[in-house]
Amino acid sequence: MNEFSRRGFLGLAGAAGVAGLAACAGTGTAPSSGGNGGGASSNTIEFWSNHPGNSKPVEQQIIKAFEAANPNLKVKLVDAGKNYEEVAQKFNASLAGGQLPDVVVVSDVTWFNFALNKQLAPLDDLLSAAKIDTSDYVDALYNDYNLDDKHFALPFSRSTPLFYYNKDLWKAAGLEDRGPKDWDEFLTWAPKLKAAAGSDKVVMELPDGSNYLDWVFQNMVWGYGGAYSKEWTPTFSDPNTVKAGKYLQDLAKNGFLKLSKDPAPDFTAGIVGCSMMSTGSLGGVAKDAKFDVGTAFLPGDGNCPTGGAGVGIPANITDERKKNALKFIEFLTNAQNTVTFTQATGYMPVRKSAVDLPEEKAFLEKNPNAKTAIEQLPKTRSQDNVRVLLPGGGARIGKALDQVVQGQDVATVFKALDAESQQVFDSQIKSKLGA
Amino acid sequence: MSTSTVIGTLDDESLPPERTRRQRRRAAHNVEPSSHHRGPVWTALGYVGMVLVVLLVAVPLFWILITSFKDRGDIYVRPAQWWPSPATSDNYHELTTRIPFFDYVRNSVIITSATAVAKIVLGVLSAYALSLLRFPGRSVVFLVVIAALMVPNQITVISNYALVAQLGWRNTFQGIIIPLAGVAFGTFLMRNQFLSLPGEIIEAARLDGAGPMKLLWRVVMPMSWPTLVAFSLITVVNEWNEYLWPYLMSDDETTATLPVGLTFLQNNDGVTNWGPVMAGTILAMLPILVLFLFLQRQMIKGLTAGAVKS
Amino acid sequence: MQSSVTDSRRDTPVSAGPPEQVGPAPRRSSGKAWEWTLAALLLLPNLVLLVVFTYRPLLDNIRLSFTDWNISSPVANPVGLANYVEWFGRDDTRVVVRNTLVFTVATVGISMALGLGLALLLDQKLKGRNLVRSVVFAPFVISGAAVGIAFQFVFDPQFGLVRDLLARVGASSPDFYQQPGWALFMVTVTYIWKNLGYTFVIYLAALQGRRADLDEAAEIDGASAWTRFRRVLMPQLRPTTFFLSITVLLSSVQVFDIINVMTRGGPQGNGTATLVYQVYQETFVNQRAGYGATVATIMFVILLAVTVVQVRFMDRGQKS
Repeated sequence: MNEFSRRGFLGLAGAAGVAGLAACAGTGTAPSSGGNGGGASSNTIEFWSNHPGNSKPVEQQIIKAFEAANPNLKVKLVDAGKNYEEVAQKFNASLAGGQLPDVVVVSDVTWFNFALNKQLAPLDDLLSAAKIDTSDYVDALYNDYNLDDKHFALPFSRSTPLFYYNKDLWKAAGLEDRGPKDWDEFLTWAPKLKAAAGSDKVVMELPDGSNYLDWVFQNMVWGYGGAYSKEWTPTFSDPNTVKAGKYLQDLAKNGFLKLSKDPAPDFTAGIVGCSMMSTGSLGGVAKDAKFDVGTAFLPGDGNCPTGGAGVGIPANITDERKKNALKFIEFLTNAQNTVTFTQATGYMPVRKSAVDLPEEKAFLEKNPNAKTAIEQLPKTRSQDNVRVLLPGGGARIGKALDQVVQGQDVATVFKALDAESQQVFDSQIKSKLGA
Repeated sequence: MSTSTVIGTLDDESLPPERTRRQRRRAAHNVEPSSHHRGPVWTALGYVGMVLVVLLVAVPLFWILITSFKDRGDIYVRPAQWWPSPATSDNYHELTTRIPFFDYVRNSVIITSATAVAKIVLGVLSAYALSLLRFPGRSVVFLVVIAALMVPNQITVISNYALVAQLGWRNTFQGIIIPLAGVAFGTFLMRNQFLSLPGEIIEAARLDGAGPMKLLWRVVMPMSWPTLVAFSLITVVNEWNEYLWPYLMSDDETTATLPVGLTFLQNNDGVTNWGPVMAGTILAMLPILVLFLFLQRQMIKGLTAGAVKS
Repeated sequence: MQSSVTDSRRDTPVSAGPPEQVGPAPRRSSGKAWEWTLAALLLLPNLVLLVVFTYRPLLDNIRLSFTDWNISSPVANPVGLANYVEWFGRDDTRVVVRNTLVFTVATVGISMALGLGLALLLDQKLKGRNLVRSVVFAPFVISGAAVGIAFQFVFDPQFGLVRDLLARVGASSPDFYQQPGWALFMVTVTYIWKNLGYTFVIYLAALQGRRADLDEAAEIDGASAWTRFRRVLMPQLRPTTFFLSITVLLSSVQVFDIINVMTRGGPQGNGTATLVYQVYQETFVNQRAGYGATVATIMFVILLAVTVVQVRFMDRGQKS
């Protein structure tokens, strides 16, 4: 037997000669030694969250309601990190031999590796046992967590990009008060916007490759008929994908586009004409901007990538704990609570029926920009595998896009990206699929 | 500080610890050799240098400070606003109300003091053994100690997490403190210091029949005060700012430290209001700066004790 | 502070006066039984902590560097030297090593030189020096993450102080976040700013402990300020310089927070990625913990080698 047990390596104090424990190989999927012990009693649900969108108070509010409805259950809310990456890091640490949580926040990027390595429980059987109807979840959001026809998380703090624009600048450029229909139309607007903006302002600013340009750029790629990948086959060299890359490059070359670490403050200060940013930024931007903020669907039709995070349940806890955990995440994401949560944070309601609730109707009445985001929701599209499911996908594509914006040859850069992505898939994913 | 001076100090154990302020100042003057013969040109250059330093180092500090008093809408403006107008204390209010700020302060104080005390004691004892005691394999042990400085904590945390969690110490003070308590840096620094002490004094004290612990407390430590102060200061700073391990180990404000708590002011998917974050940075830094002001006096005082008898 | 970490005997290299023996006198034997016991007692608690919480993980890490371990996986398959072969053959290795070298050499050299200069300056009897000492030390007190956040107000190409100052003289600001060279410059400057307080305080402590009589003797002999600096002061500060050269190097190589907050290793993927950042990136972002362990092991070996060379170099300097 050739496999070393990682838990053997990591869990045993000072066990330098632990290679002898190779016989444990493959037992890692059995309940971990700390999984059920050490204080976490089965009627306390430990919820590991990074409180996306500063949501700790509203999480606490929902927990209180849950405890009132289920007097025999308690929920312990744990500060598991400052962002999705840190929650994943802490969850990984607990997988190495600590006590597992009952519920953990997993992002569009982090859930997959946990699922692939059998660390998240498939929810389908649990859901049907609990007679929970999943058809009310927004389809694109629910199906984001699909692997081998099983679902590994429920959507929780979900966002999409929106097209933000400065209405004052739009007016000065003599444009209609709306977003561009597609990116070709935007190109005809750009010179007018540039003329109206003057030399010290930027027509469009997008986040750079270290800050999720690869997320919003999917919209341009899909708009030109390309994609990062079809299922698991990378398609960066597809002529349409390359065309989108060239489009991005030309925007920069002509001085219409700049990249930055964070476009939100630049846009808010009025020195940027438009941007594609998360719906999560809506509250902050609207509050600080001293001009009229416009929001629109991303250009094109049905080309808006989903994003944000869901909640999952660790695979290696007892069935009793899983059952309770599921009860909690269903409650956390039901129509009523998704409305409470999203109104406090700016995320998208994850239930179709949410928009029919009177409080949501009233809210949208008062917040037309939030309405844009919700109306766009049915037009969203699940992201391409090589970005969200391939390890390091986002960073890899972001790097290439940075290079493209800096003027390197698109076809060459994208071809290399194809090869690299394929290699990562072959070495890290292929053998584990369907296993 | 000549050899005979120090010996004199050591022999005289009845030396009154308190001296008058003036004596102390005069003594301080004595140990600063370069200060008594500077011409006016040198002095003027010195002041120019100080002004330059303050400008370069203090401007970013100043920026953190004024940002902590700015309205949210005034933080990102062009041209930059060099003075908050209007000045507001809202950020400080938000800092102390939106997160359990004082809980984090309490935890940071507990964890930093416990870890720093452990490190200082262990560092001094280890350094003493590695410099003034003779035993086989001494240099190997020393190498083992300093090589620990070469292990980045990114690779130790996962493994340590598993161990500490199995002990049931997650989200406890001991779970955070004990894994941080081993000391490599301080052992290195203090050993360097102890080895630099004049050999005759050590020998003389030994001949006088001073046991090893008495030698440490009465002879070695009094001569190593400035270095010990520097060691303590740096240790306190490092523990105070430790992030990765406390974040992994703590679950909530019962044990989480200030650097962990302050991150919850940032919006991890949206627009962060930097005002309260800057206010938190200022408040987190103040206690350590006060400690520095206090300790740097001690640094000079410690020397004065040795030099005054010359 | 005068002496070395490697040898308890040395001569004080002073131009005036005969060499004087400092450091504990050598003993004939290698100690007695009670000395061994006492040493063991004093060292044991610290060694146990280091072994359990540093060396045990390090051994795990070395072992895992020969596997394909995925960070979330319960199993790790042995792959022999494959990770090492891959590291030496990969294009990004060159970039990361170059970044690490540039960053480390710049931060070690500049922060030590400035720290010494400031310590010398603020050791003078100047009015207000206590305040200035605190100012110099203050950045060191702030956490790396907070410094990274604060310096976005310095380098931001739209709102930063640098832009503001350059605009006053009619120049435009480079885009520090998008151009790899400038980005590396930015994190280097930020790191030096933060860590100046460290080299400063250690040098200051050493200056306070130095021997006034040697300097005075040299001055009476008519030596110039430069000669006194070079022949009297620097040799006395030698152990301190040696100590700093090792500790600053080790902490520079392991910089993480500042880079993570300011650039996430970018622009263009690895514009500011250093070895430790690569360890993090491979382990937690790309989930290739086995490969990350390989990078960490390689880094450990390099650091160990460099430190041994430093110790040797110091030794030789001592004997000449």
